[in-house]
Amino acid sequence: MSRAPLIARKQELPLKNENTSLFLQVIISIAVFIFALTLSGVLSVNSVVNNWNKSILGSLTVQIIPVNDSNKEKARAETLAYEEKAVDFLKSVNGITKVTPLSDNQLNDLLRPWLGDGINIGELPAPRIIDVRIDPDAEIDFIQLAQDLANASPQASLDSHKLWLNKLIAFADGLNLIATTILVLISAITSGAIFYTTQMSLGLHHNIIEILHIIGAKDTYIAQQYAKRMAFLGFIGGVIGLLFAIPAIFFIGNLALSVEGGIISEAGMNISDWITVMALPLFSMLISMLTAYYTVKKTLKKMP
Amino acid sequence: MPNDNTNIIEMSNVGIRYDQGPEILSDIKLALPRGSFHFLTGQSGAGKTSLLSLMYLAQKPSRGQISVFNHNVSFADRDRLASLRRRIGVVFQDFRLIEHLSAYDNVALPLRVSGMDEREIRNRVTELLTWVELDAHMHDKTSTLSGGEKQRVAIARAVINRPDLLLADEPTGNVDNIIAGKLMKLFVELNKLGTTVVIATHSDKIINDFAYPRLHLQNRGLHIYYPSDTSTLGGIHV
Repeated sequence: MSRAPLIARKQELPLKNENTSLFLQVIISIAVFIFALTLSGVLSVNSVVNNWNKSILGSLTVQIIPVNDSNKEKARAETLAYEEKAVDFLKSVNGITKVTPLSDNQLNDLLRPWLGDGINIGELPAPRIIDVRIDPDAEIDFIQLAQDLANASPQASLDSHKLWLNKLIAFADGLNLIATTILVLISAITSGAIFYTTQMSLGLHHNIIEILHIIGAKDTYIAQQYAKRMAFLGFIGGVIGLLFAIPAIFFIGNLALSVEGGIISEAGMNISDWITVMALPLFSMLISMLTAYYTVKKTLKKMP
Repeated sequence: MPNDNTNIIEMSNVGIRYDQGPEILSDIKLALPRGSFHFLTGQSGAGKTSLLSLMYLAQKPSRGQISVFNHNVSFADRDRLASLRRRIGVVFQDFRLIEHLSAYDNVALPLRVSGMDEREIRNRVTELLTWVELDAHMHDKTSTLSGGEKQRVAIARAVINRPDLLLADEPTGNVDNIIAGKLMKLFVELNKLGTTVVIATHSDKIINDFAYPRLHLQNRGLHIYYPSDTSTLGGIHV
C-alpha cells in the first residue's frame, strides 16, 4: 500500500491565488510608509522636549537687572555688587549645589548672535546672569526662594524656565494630536480595505465555506485561515513600506540637521524610537490578522 | 452519546419553504432509530434534497421541531451545530469536492477539522483510498478525476470519520455495477458497526437488492414502506 508523504497541507481556501492580495499589499505598504514617517516625526519632537525638560530640570537662571546710572562705571560696580549678594545668598540655600555667575566673556558669547563681534559687555546696560544648579530631588519652594532672593539682592529675579517649556510642550502636544489623528485614519483605512476584501473573498469562496461547514468546521477554523493569510500580507506589506520609509526618514533627518540653531536640528530618534518604527510590520501584521479574523467571524454568523 | 434506544433524528410537524413560496415539505413526522438503514425515494422535485439538508443541518425548518442526536437544532448555537455535523457524513449528488485539493486532502478534511494528528490522518486516509481503489490517484486534484472517481472520493470523505449518521444522495449514480455493489457493501458494513444510514436513490435495483425500509416523499408528505409491505400506502412512522 502506498502512503501519502507527510508534507505541508494545502489550505482549503485558495486565498493565495486571489487578485486582491497585491492590492492589499500595496495599501498596507503605503499605510506603513506614512505611518513610519509620522511616527518618526512624533518620536523626534517628543525626544527633543524630553531632552530639554531633563536638561533644565536641575537648573535655574538668576538675572541681575543692571543699575541705571549715568555714571557707567558706578552703575557697573553696583550691579556687580548686587550679583555678589545674590551669589552669596544662593550658596546658602539648601538644595542648591552650584552657583556660577557668567563671566563677561560668556555674556559676550551669548549676545554675539544678536549684536555681532566687538561688543564689550561692560559698556552695555545688559543684565548679569547667574547659572544655578539644584539637586533634582530637593523640594524647593520657588516662590519663597524668589522672594528671599529679592530681599537679599533687590535687582535679582528668578527664572525657572517652566513658562517657556510649557509653551514648547503645548506645541509638541498639538503635533502629537495631529499625528495621532493621522495614525488612526491610516489604521482605519487599512482595516476598511481588509474588511471589504475579506468580505469579497468570503462571497467568492462561498461554496467551499459551505462544504467546510457541512463537514463540521467551526467558524473559527475558517477565520483562522483568513487571519493567517492576512497576517502574511500585513507583514510583507509592512516590510515593504518600511524599506521605503527608512531612507525617507534619514533624508528628512539630514534636512533637519542642516537647519542650524533651531529646535529642528536637535530633533532625533534614539534606539528605542527606532525599535518602535522597526516594529511597524509586526503592528500591520497584527491589525491585518485581527481585522480579517473578526470580519470572517462576524460575516459567517449571518450564514445559516 | 445517545444510548442504543434513542432516535438519531426526530422531526415533528416539520415544514419547509423557500422565501415566501409554498411549502416543499409539510407536516413531516419522522423518528430515525439509531443503527437503522433507510432508502429515501420520491420523484424529482419531491423534496429529497431538502429533507436531507434538514438532516445534515444545512438549514433550519420553516416550522416544526427537529432533534438530532437528542439536540433540538432550533436552540443550538453555531459551535454546537458544527459539533453535531462532525458526527454526520454526507455524500452529495454533485459530490461537492474542493476542486483545487487532491483526493487525499479532500478525504482528510473531516479529520483535520476535528483536529486529528496528521500521522493518524495519513494512515486512515491512505487505507480508505486504497479500499475504494483510488490509491493511484491519491495526489491528483479532484478536478482531474472522472465522475465515478469523484463519487468514490466523496463517499470516502463522508465515511472517513466513521460517522454516527450517513446521508447519501444518489451515491451510486455515477459508478458501474461492480463499484456500486462494493460501495453498498461499505454502507452495509458501516451500518452493522452502528452507523445510521439514509440513502436517497432512484435505483430500483438497489432498493430491491437490499431489504431495508423506504422513506417515500409524495405530495409534500413522508411515508414509510417496509420491505414486506407491497401496498402503495404505508403508515407514517412516528
